[in-house]
Amino acid sequence: MKIPYLKMKKMLVPWLFLAPSLGGAAVFMGGPFVDVVKRSFTDAMGGRFTGLQNYQAVVDNSAFQLAAGNTVRFLGVCIPLLMTISLGLALLIAGGAQAHKKSSVIKNCRTILVLPMAVPTASMVLVWRILLCPDGVLNQMLSQVTGKAWETDWAFSRHAFWVLIATYLWRHTGYDMLLWLAGLQGIPGEQYEAARMDGAGAAARFWYITIPGLKGTLGMVGVLSVVNSFRVYREAYLLAGSYPDASIYLIPHLFAHWFLGLDIQKMTAAAAMMTGVCLIPAGVVWIFYKRRRHWM
Amino acid sequence: MKKRNGMVLIILAAACLLVWIPLLLMAGASLMPEDELYWRYLSPLGLGKDRVRAALLPSYPSPEAFVELLIRSPGFFVMFWNSCLQVLPVLAGQLAVAAPAAWAFAKFRFKGKRLLFGGYVILMVLPFQVTQVSNYLVLDRLGLLDSHLSLILPGIWSTLPVFIMTKTFETIPDVLMEAAYLDGAGEFYTFFHVGLPLGYPAVVASLMLSFVEGWNALEQPVTYLKSKNLWPLSLYLPGITEDKASVAFAAALVTCLLPVLLYLSCQEELEQGVAAAGVKQ
Amino acid sequence: MMIKIHKKGMAWLLMAGLVLGSLGGCQKKAGGTIEDTGKTKAQAGESGPGDGSTVLPSEEAKEPGAMGRYGETEIELPQEMENHMKCGFMKGESGSLELFTKEGDYYSDGISDAFHYVYQDGIWEKDENWAGNDALKEKGIDLMEAAYGQDGSYYLGGTDGDYRYHLFRLEEDGSLTECLEGVFDPTEGREYGLLPPKFQVLEDGSFLIYEYYEVYLYDASGKRLFSMAKDFSGTTSDARGFSEGGEFVTVLDNQIVRYDLKNGRITDTVSYDEIDGARDAAELLGDGQGGIYMATEVGLSHISKGGSMWEVLIDGSLNHMGMRSIYMTGFLEGESQDYYGLFAEEAGKGLLLFHYVYDPDMAAVPPSGLTVYSLKDHSTVRQAASQFQSEHPDVRVEVRTAVEDGGSVTEEMIQGLNTELLSGKGADILILDGLPADSYIEKGILMDLSGLVEELESSGEMYNNLLDGLKEEDGKIYQVPARFSFPLLLGEEKAIQAYSSLEAMKGYEGEKPLVPTENYGNLLRMTATLRYKELFGSREGLADRGLLIRYLETVKAIGEANGAKTVFSEEEMEEKWTSNYVKDDGIIDNSIQYDAGRADSSTEEADGYGTLCIAAEVRRLHPGTLMVPAEDLYRPFMLASVNHSTANEELAKEFIRCLLSYEVQKEELYDGFPVNKKAMAFITEKDKEGFSVGSGIGDYHISAEYPSREVREEIGAMADTLKVPVRIDWTVMQMVEEGARDYLDGKESVEQAADKILRTMSIYLAE
Repeated sequence: MKIPYLKMKKMLVPWLFLAPSLGGAAVFMGGPFVDVVKRSFTDAMGGRFTGLQNYQAVVDNSAFQLAAGNTVRFLGVCIPLLMTISLGLALLIAGGAQAHKKSSVIKNCRTILVLPMAVPTASMVLVWRILLCPDGVLNQMLSQVTGKAWETDWAFSRHAFWVLIATYLWRHTGYDMLLWLAGLQGIPGEQYEAARMDGAGAAARFWYITIPGLKGTLGMVGVLSVVNSFRVYREAYLLAGSYPDASIYLIPHLFAHWFLGLDIQKMTAAAAMMTGVCLIPAGVVWIFYKRRRHWM
Repeated sequence: MKKRNGMVLIILAAACLLVWIPLLLMAGASLMPEDELYWRYLSPLGLGKDRVRAALLPSYPSPEAFVELLIRSPGFFVMFWNSCLQVLPVLAGQLAVAAPAAWAFAKFRFKGKRLLFGGYVILMVLPFQVTQVSNYLVLDRLGLLDSHLSLILPGIWSTLPVFIMTKTFETIPDVLMEAAYLDGAGEFYTFFHVGLPLGYPAVVASLMLSFVEGWNALEQPVTYLKSKNLWPLSLYLPGITEDKASVAFAAALVTCLLPVLLYLSCQEELEQGVAAAGVKQ
Repeated sequence: MMIKIHKKGMAWLLMAGLVLGSLGGCQKKAGGTIEDTGKTKAQAGESGPGDGSTVLPSEEAKEPGAMGRYGETEIELPQEMENHMKCGFMKGESGSLELFTKEGDYYSDGISDAFHYVYQDGIWEKDENWAGNDALKEKGIDLMEAAYGQDGSYYLGGTDGDYRYHLFRLEEDGSLTECLEGVFDPTEGREYGLLPPKFQVLEDGSFLIYEYYEVYLYDASGKRLFSMAKDFSGTTSDARGFSEGGEFVTVLDNQIVRYDLKNGRITDTVSYDEIDGARDAAELLGDGQGGIYMATEVGLSHISKGGSMWEVLIDGSLNHMGMRSIYMTGFLEGESQDYYGLFAEEAGKGLLLFHYVYDPDMAAVPPSGLTVYSLKDHSTVRQAASQFQSEHPDVRVEVRTAVEDGGSVTEEMIQGLNTELLSGKGADILILDGLPADSYIEKGILMDLSGLVEELESSGEMYNNLLDGLKEEDGKIYQVPARFSFPLLLGEEKAIQAYSSLEAMKGYEGEKPLVPTENYGNLLRMTATLRYKELFGSREGLADRGLLIRYLETVKAIGEANGAKTVFSEEEMEEKWTSNYVKDDGIIDNSIQYDAGRADSSTEEADGYGTLCIAAEVRRLHPGTLMVPAEDLYRPFMLASVNHSTANEELAKEFIRCLLSYEVQKEELYDGFPVNKKAMAFITEKDKEGFSVGSGIGDYHISAEYPSREVREEIGAMADTLKVPVRIDWTVMQMVEEGARDYLDGKESVEQAADKILRTMSIYLAE
């Protein structure tokens, strides 16, 4: 079959755009990934093939069960929270900017809200301790308000879960807000105008124009939040030690300990498994999407 | 309407306050002389038990900590410079490599696109710990260990920026591209003159994320750099010894200064980019 | 709008400032690489050490095959000098090396004999005609320092009976002329006058008088012209600096500074950051052309005038310069790009002289290398590395430490090491202190050293009991300790008996509490250490709920008796003579508390005779008091092991032999007792006159001398009885400490605390 020149060019173009990225990613990211999968089927030193033994060991491991459960719970609570709060702030700022016409106040708010992501965790932990230790600011404030003495060690008690969520939100809300704002700006203003002409109320406009317009951003913010959630570990570890309250014992804790104990085979098996688990919903969506297209 | 705007401002102000109080605490502490620091923050510093006497402003402001940090500890500047050397090339590289790839993913149809993109996402989700040993082996085989390149090259080909940029490029209406084609523009011209300007906010946002990540990286430099004279600033903070707790706050402030300044300057660009996009629409 | 512009402008400005600042910081380095013009003195020579490829800036030198390096040879000093102290080391009148020494040491009172030696034709000869000694005696002066002035005369400085300093010029006829009279007299209201650690005489007869933080310039008439600030290195023999060509060079704010001797102003500063680990320059000297030599533990470096890059001439890690048991006390340049380094053991005695000569036929870098990894810096390991290298000149030993002294180890560092190990790489020798040794053994990272240990043990030189303690259940042995300590108990019979079980500790009844007041962290750890066998002897260990509860109750009972808390406030610490510091094994040296009658017993970590002065004195003061080891427990330190994937197995084993050898072990580096019996006997025999320690709080005071020979022998003999190494899992200890806090604070019951701890522990064990 002969492909016409123009069409061939058309087929080649995307690959030209992709090539530099693809080459490097294959070496620096893909290579290691393949190695990780390979390691999940061998013993720690990578010498002996052990079949599914590592997977079995991981699934049976009660620490893994606990960590996985906690991680799901953590993600289940903090991702919706993060998304709603950051979207809310984005809408407020977008609305405010419109109403105030480039108000510098609004702009400063934006700057302020994004700053936390740049602060190194190690130093932030000192501040959290100032706020949360038994002699800290939070307890002092609570004592004042309630009139009785508070001496809770927030980071070490069962409240640790919420402490962690708070620090996570503190760090990431601003950035996600930026992404939402970028998404909001992508929605053409004419659509709102037209809707307003048709007599649609604010709620209706939000529901039928804003939300559909942000679908792409939603996926992105969601995935990013999951990626970031692995980074919460350093905060948890510096704040509450390597063996914190059972409620914030997360997958990264377990991975860190496995790594310290050279149990890399378990770690890679667990990671491969988690990737697999993440792939299932993605696969379902894909199949669904394909079918719908067929049907259409 | 006025009232509503007032409410908006109040909510935003409250949010900003929540975000800023910890930062101001840090900034205040960085300006405290050592004895005031111990008087106020004995417990949090893990040195004893005493009521915390939090203050946003020091009673006796003193640049002691900064002097100690910037002048007395000469290693600081070398580390600062290493950080720059390790992070800035990554950003340039990502701009050159990730943005075109994202454009391809967002705006072209080709065989295997979804599969490939899926692969990129998977590579992005794996935590660093998991791939650390494998990465090490790859870098070792390429002979890159113990050099700045061992941090730069994997950084450039991180797949996260591709993901963020793709998602934003997708929102650019195809109409604009078609208009460009009709004007006789080629594929590359269209990418540079339609894609990049319109996707600017996301490009900047993703580079910002990469910057912060590279700037605060801990595991990678510790693992790949044997020579301590190559170590970046991020390894300075954990290295601060107990008896230097007074410097910790100042070091933190200086560490995040460059990212913040970079952000402040980028913010303007970002807005201009957005504005430009608006005009074209 | 204004605000916006302003803000943006500021941001760029600040950023530019930051980047420029850091550029500036590196400019010196970067610029220097380019303009390394070869003007340095070393490079001026024709076939000398300088020409291009043969110099040792480490990067270049790494290329294999490069030849040429400074070798080290020892120059024999006269036998009689063994007990002499150095008073001066210089190139004298004749241009040859000269040494001034005196008998005795820092602590001796009275006037000791001083001597003058000259090095000629390869032999040190005593200058029998030297008039200085008699002249000094006549004046009643004890020599502190001798120097050869730039004006061509010899000068002698010393103290009189009132400990007042005097400075004399030694005239040709052997008489002494006092200089700077009155300068060293105490100022009003002060007991002592100026006691300079060093002085220098300039060409025009003016004097540089060193103090710790300052150097004064006096003209010949005794008028002080000005002072110049310098850093104090922390030792009393600190005298870094030299003067040459109208300039004075010293160290200020961790940089080398040049002062103009006309007006005392700083004309130039030179950073020495790039010389890794050279934070404390040991000796500075001029090269006669305005350049500077700096000799430190890491070697000899040179920078030419106006130059900006240091050139490493001698790599100190390859010879005695890097050895920890000796310190540099003088460094001189020879005639033809050779150098002399004078070193002393503790207290200025035990002088050693080395000659550094460039050898073009020696490989620039030793052909084979051995890497030793440890988390923290260990002096004994460094000592062994130096010793090993002087025995094997063709092997380079690189000691890699994860953190500098005082830094804290982070998880990331261990993970970094693990990454190397899992990739089949990593150091040849691992010092396991602080590393997950059990995992390494389980995963086969470490080599079985049974053969080596057997060989060491059969030599009869080792404490076999201490090595055997580290054998695994299957008889294999993967780690060998280089040093050890053991817990000592101090108290009367009844109190000592109470340490025999948890039950007894808990049920102790006496006038005073059994244990001095400590924070609960230490009490938990101390009890765990002392009752190690009871608590960790079984497979389950603390995971046994009943045992855990008994343990917690014991600690609580001890704490209630002595008023312990989890955290003390400032006032409580003062009142109870304690602190919030938590030591990993909880064995706090608190015999003063026992002495002051605050407790019926006390603990002491025996890791050297020097640290046991007070304990021994306290026992002497209280008849009926025993000082005994806690059962047969000991703590091994510097556990050396060999990486299974090493390519240098034999060398690595040889290194461990060296680490445990008599030569290395006999050096007292304050990091534990030696595991080498012969070395222990040597240390036990050694007297330390004048060594004394004092301690006091408020009105209480105690001072003590170095333990007597009998006491030393008694303590030394205990080492034979130790069999069980305390190898507590500090991660578990941490969990216990955190989980028990509320119980110990009285906020919850012991059962609640135990369950909390067990919950965390079960996660740990499940992993």
